[in-house]
Formats: sequence, structure tokens, C-alpha cells
Amino acid sequence: MALRVPVNLRKNLSVVLYGFQALSIGAVIVGIASLLLLPLDEYSRRTYISENALLPGQVHAYFGGSEQNIVRAFRREVDLLGNSTSDVVAERMAEIFRSAGLKVGKQKYEYKAAGGEYTGENVYAVLHAPRGDATEAIVLCAPWKNIDHLLNEGGVALTLALSRYFKRWSLWSKDIIFLISSDARAGPQAWVDAYHDLHGPNIQSLSVKSGAIQGVVVVDYPGAYHRFESLHILYDGINGQLPNLDLINTAVQISRDQMGLRTDLQEMWDHADTYRHRLKTMLRGMVNQALGHSTGPHSSFIPYHIDAITLATHGDGWHDEGSLGRTVESVFRSLNNLLEHFHQSFFFYLLMAPNRFVSIGTYLPSAMLIAVGLTLTAIRLWLDPRSRTKAEGGEAVEQPDEKPTSKATKEGGENKAVETVIDGGPKRELFLPLSVVIGAHFCGVIPFAVFNIIDYKSMSNVFYLFIATSFILPTVLSVFITLTASEHRLLPTFHLSRCFSLLFLGMFLSTLATVNFSLSFLIGIFSLPLMFARTTPTSVPLAFINTVLLQLTSPFAALFIVANYWGLGIEDVLKEASFGWWVWGMWTPVVVWSVWWPAWVVGRVSVDASFVMALTGKTSG
Amino acid sequence: MDRKCLLVIGVGLLLRLVLFTAFPSLPTILAQRVEISTPVTSYKRLQEGLFLYTHGVSPYDGGVFHQAPLLLSLFSILPDSTILTNVFYVLADLLSAVSLVQIASSGVSGVTPHHVSPRKDNRWPPWAIAAVFLFNPFSIATCIARPTIVFTNSIVLHSIANAVQGNRAPAFVSLAMASYLSLYPVLLFPPLLLLTYDCSKAVSKPSIQAIGAICTIPFVTALFVYLKLSHVITDSWEFIVSTYGVHLLLPDLTPNVGLWWYFFIEMFDSFRSFFLCLFQLHLFIYVPGLCLRLRKQPLFALITLVGITSIFKSYPAIGDTSLYLSLLALYNHTFPLMRYTFFLAAAILYATFLGPAFYYLWVYAGSGNANFFYAITLVWSIVNALIVADALYAVLRDEYETERPELIGKDVVQI
Repeated sequence: MALRVPVNLRKNLSVVLYGFQALSIGAVIVGIASLLLLPLDEYSRRTYISENALLPGQVHAYFGGSEQNIVRAFRREVDLLGNSTSDVVAERMAEIFRSAGLKVGKQKYEYKAAGGEYTGENVYAVLHAPRGDATEAIVLCAPWKNIDHLLNEGGVALTLALSRYFKRWSLWSKDIIFLISSDARAGPQAWVDAYHDLHGPNIQSLSVKSGAIQGVVVVDYPGAYHRFESLHILYDGINGQLPNLDLINTAVQISRDQMGLRTDLQEMWDHADTYRHRLKTMLRGMVNQALGHSTGPHSSFIPYHIDAITLATHGDGWHDEGSLGRTVESVFRSLNNLLEHFHQSFFFYLLMAPNRFVSIGTYLPSAMLIAVGLTLTAIRLWLDPRSRTKAEGGEAVEQPDEKPTSKATKEGGENKAVETVIDGGPKRELFLPLSVVIGAHFCGVIPFAVFNIIDYKSMSNVFYLFIATSFILPTVLSVFITLTASEHRLLPTFHLSRCFSLLFLGMFLSTLATVNFSLSFLIGIFSLPLMFARTTPTSVPLAFINTVLLQLTSPFAALFIVANYWGLGIEDVLKEASFGWWVWGMWTPVVVWSVWWPAWVVGRVSVDASFVMALTGKTSG
Repeated sequence: MDRKCLLVIGVGLLLRLVLFTAFPSLPTILAQRVEISTPVTSYKRLQEGLFLYTHGVSPYDGGVFHQAPLLLSLFSILPDSTILTNVFYVLADLLSAVSLVQIASSGVSGVTPHHVSPRKDNRWPPWAIAAVFLFNPFSIATCIARPTIVFTNSIVLHSIANAVQGNRAPAFVSLAMASYLSLYPVLLFPPLLLLTYDCSKAVSKPSIQAIGAICTIPFVTALFVYLKLSHVITDSWEFIVSTYGVHLLLPDLTPNVGLWWYFFIEMFDSFRSFFLCLFQLHLFIYVPGLCLRLRKQPLFALITLVGITSIFKSYPAIGDTSLYLSLLALYNHTFPLMRYTFFLAAAILYATFLGPAFYYLWVYAGSGNANFFYAITLVWSIVNALIVADALYAVLRDEYETERPELIGKDVVQI
């Protein structure tokens, strides 16, 4: 059989063990290095349009001239409504849509998360395609308040103007839905949920609907009468899912080649296309993907397999609503050309400049290699003779392999069966390590549930309490195990706990890498110390270093880093997580609390055991 | 049955009841998983058939329902209450657990008339075997999702339990029921016959031919009665085509954890019948070989056949694998002789997690395609095949060491 371990390797187990260690370290190093190589020209590719039907920028865009005056008039309307309540806004918007001859629907929604209430009213209008059969639709969306809670004057005004303008064209083959969502975070989610009839009782159903949504463009153009310099394209969806690359390429190509508009990604305002800038863009993209949160109204559409982007204006330049209107018009003409749902181009990619990307085949190995490194470590720990519990009294059997000594006794009888008494070699005792690891994973439900239920105000207090608990819990556990289990079982127990914990972690991370690459990669990087942090009862300083290292790479440390990265308080991050879970169905908290945190706890347990064993003198193992 | 057995079984059943009541939406979610429900076992389709049946329409008309007619009459007698249905499924698992305890207590896995394992004292106690079944996530998920494979499994186990206790007629009547419900248990007839022969308690043993006759008669009679009853219930023979025909001809290509669906999606029509015959015959060829080679341990031949069927049958689900794994626990004393335990355990865990992830990418996220899921079902099948092969190796090695005790602990070199 091909998988048979060669006999000579079984004899020389230490060679195998060193081999595994070298392999796992090698896998991790190669994994990280290969990620850093991605921005180079040799590994990344220029973007290209895969779907020939899109024909981006092939049509003349006519929006402009007198239409601009209409936009300015609507700006004034929006400005006047500025601080009105959402139902007043919705009513006025509905009136405008109706006067343009469109079918209008309104939708109230109400979400509760982290002790806060998020209410609002979406308003939308459907333009039935003169040449279509209402089986497909494209959406133009403008949130009333954008993601930074600024009044999206330009975006809303432009949407209103475009609704009148598009109505005059007879070339649409897909319905166009104009959506003005009440805010940028909860509103689009409520609307898209209701569009697919997957909403709860807290959300109103939609009165008017159209066909399957093929694409969404969100316009985010806040501020009064300002001109802008560049278009910021936002594309990250909930849970790190991404829209089809063709949609982004279309938007980039139209703005760049047709409108002479610069496009930016990931808030990289001066991208010089150097290695550093590419790497930074990619890493920022990865952080957004890993957090799996919403970066704009488009994010909520992506889980429904609807490709969506936000076009946000940035800076102060010479472009005005005319340029933005023509860009949107041209993108819509391209979307209108689609013969089937976006499928040609990539769904898994990392962008490092508006026109450079790497696809999944190139970048996936780096996250997989880290998961493989963890798994290889688990296999090494399993093969290690230290995973086996020696018989009471110690040195009875030294061999790593089980070589049952036998004394055969012939037994009479008609079946002539020979009964052999087997004195088993050293065995692995699986029960305690398995229950520690599985128990830790089940305990992950507790912080997850607590942080999703409690109020915003008490969050930071509960969080510090939880940090303290998680700091003490592993120590308590290791004290408990050390005091209850007999001495010769201790080391194998901690050894095997680490083995199973790393095996689970490697497995979870490789699964996660296929769904959300960045989250898997980042957790993998933070979990690297778990590969080395072992029980060292004979060397307390080493154990101390390990503890510090583990503490620095704990999920809490990561939370603080995230909070710092955005300059938010820790309670804001937790509130965002809770909001994400209740409103968007964001899975990141589940992964952190029931995959990463348990692995970390088990790692701490085995390191803390060193101190306890050294103190109690149970060091022989 | 001692107190520990009762405790384990009680906790296992309680766990299922708690899951049913604490998460009322869980059965629906799990029942939609293709890994758990197949077209021939799905609870949803059973309800569809039941609806048609109770409204006087032939349940086999729509081409949706492919399960045995007796299930229809059983479920139409049951009061229309979710709780009672759930309890009924839990009771089926209770029967399975009790049967496993009986099989384990009989000690057949360690001592047969032809073979006494040198490691027989390392066997796990019956409660541990029951625990392996009751706390296996695969069997829990299967019970919660309520596919009808649960009944087939418990009847197969019941049949084996009767066989090891020497109750010939009940064993074969049960086997007939299992075969009636899902066809493939009919493959277990030869090893079960050998098992019954080895375990018969009579002082003067009749010849194997006589036993064969004694056992075939109840089997065939029972099977005939079940089919005739089904005919009476549905008032036509069309159920044969809609149930066994579906097992044999694979008209429904819904994905599952097996190897057939993808293969037959890709197949050109002209080759379809050839490969259908080939795939079905492939399952049969293992029966004589295993019965001959494992003549000394017919129970293990039977278990291995269960394992092989769970990989290669037309509509497998994780319920089949859970049956095999629970039965395999009876031979845990040979596990130290297996060579890839850790690798296999890790691989089966990997497949368990990657399978749903890839299915999600394919069906929901739309960013993957059918090849993703198929790749994982391949891994799943390979891992299961390796478990079957490795367990077989361990048991044969155990047998071998009984004959040649001087070779215990020596490495085997394959030339």
C-alpha cells in the first residue's frame, strides 16, 4: 500500500519527528513569504474584462448639460429635508419618484443589537424595462446617510435625477430599481432580505418587486456642492465575500478610460504602484475581508450572490456630478448588456491596485500552508513517544512503537485456537486530553453568547472581566489537572491536548481559508506561537517566555489591535461585532470565540502546567 | 444490561430529545443537508408522499417519493404530531443502542468457534460501544434530521443482535425488513447466515445447508409478505420501480456524499446502462470473497460489508457511515494493529468540515462549482475505504498472530 510508512523510518522515529518539525516550520515560512511575494509583477496579474458582453465604455454617455441643473435642484430638496425624520424623507422621495412615473415602494425596518435600536424607512422605485420581461433587475442605491453618517446629498440627488433620465431611454433590457436606503448599514440589509422574502417580523415586506438582481451600484457623494478628485471603489462584502472581479474592472475601466477619473481602493489615496503601496492595499483589503464587516451599503447584497460595489467620491478636484452621473450611466449600460449573471471572472481575488490582482490559485497556498504547518505539528506531537503514558512506575517500556511482549499458551479444545496474552505497550490515553479540547471549544459559546446579548454600556466592563477570567481559567484548569491526575500521566495529557487542539485549529483554518482566506490567514499568523508553546516543567523561564508570547498573540490582543487600527474604543468594536451578528449575519465572532479562543486556552493550559508542575514537584512525567 | 449501559443509553436519548426541543429549527436545517438526507431517505420527501397517500393520490406519481409503502402506512397511523414523530425516531435509536449492547455482550467480536482473539480482553465494555453509537455526531445528526435510514440501521442492528443470540427466524425476518426498506442490506444475507450458524446454541448443530434452508425460508417469506402488504396498501406494483428501481437505476442525481451522482452526471447516455450494471455488480463481488476469507469471523465480514456498502451504494449518507463506525467499535481490540488511525481520524474530520464549506461555496455563494463538493466526497470515500481496508488488515493480522504467535510485533513487508 502506498501509504505504508517504510520500516526503517519506524525504527528511527526521531528522524521522522525532526522531519515533521522542519516541514511544519518550513510550511509556515514559505506561507508567509509567498504572501509577501504576491505584489511583485511576476506573481500578480493585470486585471482584464472576462465577460465580453459587458463592453465597458463602448457607449457614449449623455448625462450632463441640463441634467446637471436637475441634480442641483434635487440637491436643494435633499438639503432642505436634511434633518427630517425618516418617514418624512421617505414620503418626499416617494413623491419625486412618482412624479417621474415610477412604481414606488416603502419599507420600514427596526433592528435591535447591543442594546441599541436601529430604525428607518427605505424608499425605492422600479423602472420597468421597455425591452425586458421583468425577470432581471439592476439596482442603483444611495443611502440617505453614508457609512460615516454624513448626509449623502450628491448621491441621493444624482439617483433622483438619474431615475428621471433613465426613464426616457428605451434601451433598457433589465428593470432598474432606484433605492434610497435610510442608512448605509442596516437599511440595505433590511431591503435585500425583504426582496428575497427572508426577513423577520421586524422588517416590512416589499410591496413592489422585480426580477433577480444582477448587479448593484451604490453612489456615495456626501457634502454640499463639492467637486471631487477621485472615485473610491469599495467592494468588500459581509463575511469577506467579494463581488465578481468583472464588475470592479468595468467600473475602473469606465472611470479611467472614458471619464479620466482616478480610482482608489482601500483608502490608498496616493497609490504610486510601488511594491510598498501594492502590499499596503492588499493588506488593508485583507483586514477588511478578515473582519467580514460591512464597508458600505453594497456589502449587504453580496451574500445573496448579487455583485455590488460602492462608488464613493473623494478629495477636492475638478470632477462634478456630471462625471459621476456619466460614470454611473456607462456602468449601467454595461450591466444592461449582461446576458447571464456575472460568472466569467474571479470571485476570489486580492486587489493590490485598481488594475492589479492575484487570483485564488496564487494566494490560497499561503493560508493553506499555515494550516498545514499546524496540522503537521499535530501529527508530530501524535507520533512523539511522549504522547504515550508509561506504565505506573516509569521505565518499563522505552520503545516508541508498540511491540507487545507475548507469552503464548497453548490451549486445548476442538477449535485449537491459541490464546495469546498481550501485555500492551505504552498507550496513549485519549480521554482527558480530548475532553479538555472539546470542552474548551464548547465553552467558546459562552463569550459569544454573552457579547451578543449584553448592552453597549456594560460591554467594556464585561470585556475586562472576561479578559481576567480567560487569564485565570487556563491556570486554574492546569492546576486542577495537575493535582488530580497522577504524575506519570501529566506530560502525555498536556502533550496530547496540544496535539488535538492544533489538529482542530489546522482543520478549521483550512476550511475557513476556502471561505474567507484573510480571516484564516490572520488567525493562523496569530496562532503560530501555539506551535511552539509546550509544557516545560524543567525550564520555568522558557515557560514564562511562552506565556508572555501567548498573551501577546491572544484574541484580546488582536481585538485591541483592531480597535487601535480604527482609533475606536474596545466597546465600539464589540458593538460592531454584535451588530454584525444580529443584522448582517456576520460570522467573524463565531470563528474568534469558538475556534481561536479555545485553541489559545488549550495552549495556555499546557504552558501554565509547567509552572504548576514545577511548583508541585510533579516534574518527572 | 448493567447500570452503566442504562445510564449511557439514557443520556444519549436525553441528548437527542433535548436537541429536538431546544432547537426546534434544527431538524429542518439538518434535513436539508445533502450529506444527511438522500432522495431515498429524506424526511421531507416522506412527508410529501404521506400527503399524497392520505389524500388518495398514488404517492409514487410525482416522482418525488422513493420510499417503501409500509413507511407510509406506519406514519399515517402515527398521530400527526412533531413531538411524537421525534420520539419515534429516538426510539429507533434506542433499539439500535440496545442491539449494539447485546452484540457487544455476546462477545462474538472476540471469541468465535473458530477463532479466539489474543486481544479479546482489551475489548471495550458494552456501554462504551453504545456510547460510540449514541454520541457519534454523525448518528446524532442523522437522528435529528429524521431520514428513514435511521429505521434501516436499527433494524439491521436488531437483526445482527438476534443472530448472535441464536434467534434465527427473528434475525432473518428483520433482515428482510431492512432489505425491504432500503434494498442493500440484502447483501448482508450470506455473512448473517454464517454468523447465525456459528452462534446457534443447539447442542447438535445441523449442517450449514440445513441452517441455510431454515434461514432462507423466513427471509423469503417475510420479504414476500412485506411486498404483498405494500401491494395491498398502494393497490399497485408501481412502488417497486419507484423504490428499488431508484436504488438500482439512479434517476435522481441530487448530490450526496457518494461517488455515483457526479459520475452519472458526466456520463454519456450510451454508457449509462453499462456503468449502472458495473457499479451495482461491484457491490456484489465483495460478498463471496469476504465471507470466505473471514469465515472465522463472520461478524467482521458483515461489518466490512456494511462499510463497503456505505461507500459504494447508490445513495449513501453519513447515516450509513455512522452505522459502520459504531459496528467497527466492536473490534476496538484490534485498533492498535491499525496503521493509520490518526491520519484517518484527521482526514475524516477534515472531510466533515470541508464538505459543507465547499457545498456552501457551490450552491449558496456561487463562487465555487460542483467539482468542489465532488472533490470532498472523493476524499470522504477514500478515507472511508482506507478505514475499511485498515480495519480489515488489523483483524486479519490478529487472526494471523493467533496462528503464528512467534510473529507478534514483527513488521509486515509487502512485496
